[in-house]
Amino acid sequence: MSDETRSRYLESGSGEVSGESERLDLIRDVLGDEATWAEPPRRVADEVMAAVALQRPTTPPVEARSGGSRWAMVVGGIGAAAAVVTLVLASVSVIRSQPAETLVPMAGTELEPGASGEASVRPTGSGWWIRLDLEDLPPAPEGSYYEGWVWSDEGEGVSIGTFHLRDGPEPVIMWSGVAMSEYPSIWVTLEPEDEGPEASGEVVMKGRMPDSGDA
Amino acid sequence: MMDREVLERFRLGDEAAVKAVYDRFGGPVFALSMRILGEQGLAADATQQTFLKAWRAASTYDPERNFGPWIYAIARRTAIDIYRKQRRSVVTDDLDVAVLPPGLETAWEVFEVRAAVDQLPDEERQVIKLSHFDGLTHVEIAEQLDIPVGTVKSRSHRAHQRLIELLRHVEEA
Repeated sequence: MSDETRSRYLESGSGEVSGESERLDLIRDVLGDEATWAEPPRRVADEVMAAVALQRPTTPPVEARSGGSRWAMVVGGIGAAAAVVTLVLASVSVIRSQPAETLVPMAGTELEPGASGEASVRPTGSGWWIRLDLEDLPPAPEGSYYEGWVWSDEGEGVSIGTFHLRDGPEPVIMWSGVAMSEYPSIWVTLEPEDEGPEASGEVVMKGRMPDSGDA
Repeated sequence: MMDREVLERFRLGDEAAVKAVYDRFGGPVFALSMRILGEQGLAADATQQTFLKAWRAASTYDPERNFGPWIYAIARRTAIDIYRKQRRSVVTDDLDVAVLPPGLETAWEVFEVRAAVDQLPDEERQVIKLSHFDGLTHVEIAEQLDIPVGTVKSRSHRAHQRLIELLRHVEEA
């Protein structure tokens, strides 16, 4: 059957296309589907580029931190600082137009008492953007991963994403689709890979939005 | 098709190439996400996460292969994960992890059709949308765009011919 015949059928929904009408009808249905024509909000492109910039490695090489010369550490530090300044300048047009971030101190539990860090929380038009800057939380062991949660005072948790830190202590970007006023606690759990989506109960870090009362 | 040089730079983690890839595939990924998640905010999250994951995994992309199926797989997985995680998880709850979103069965077609219409010239894309999505006749489209009916017919004809060529692999699937 010629392309011309199929093109006519796609255009009008009628004509002789024996045996091929089902796929063409499906394409016609998809062309009439609202999802097909939906346009992403303009901010998504900005957020993608800002997130890429934020997640670009900025820490000095491992060798410099674990035994290299003091000079190498200084040079690495200056390089990292310059990269951070560049990133901040590059991202300033995005960040300037966004609401202020709330900083949430994160502390290790008895399972990871040496871990510490901070969560930066910012409301956006599509949810809550959360960046975790964590220190001294070891990479998740093979066969497991970390999972971020926001938790209500009624004991209900909503997952905000997973990560492993095996490639270094980079910032972790997460998203919450529920209001932080209703789910003011931020938890990090260690999860085995071969189990279901519910929280394991192995909470390794905790934080709580300021001005939300005691848990 | 994406420019091979852009894809190679994307594979190497070049941020400018990420923007070029977003400009080409942001629409199809968002459309797919809308089809699966059905809500603009969640679809925006899924789109953002998809491109971030793609950037993180860029070194695994083989520039010899078609980029569309590669990012489609990431987008589909991301949307399904968001769909499942939106089902609030309580420590003591048993969730059915096998549950799949209702729009999943035509997600690939939505991705491919959107990718195809995004390659049409603007005036042809406009006629296709007014015809199939808004359900207008050629006469109504001509009135709305203030152009002759004959022009609408020729644009529509050309656009559908292009779509047949661009969607041959979907039609034959």
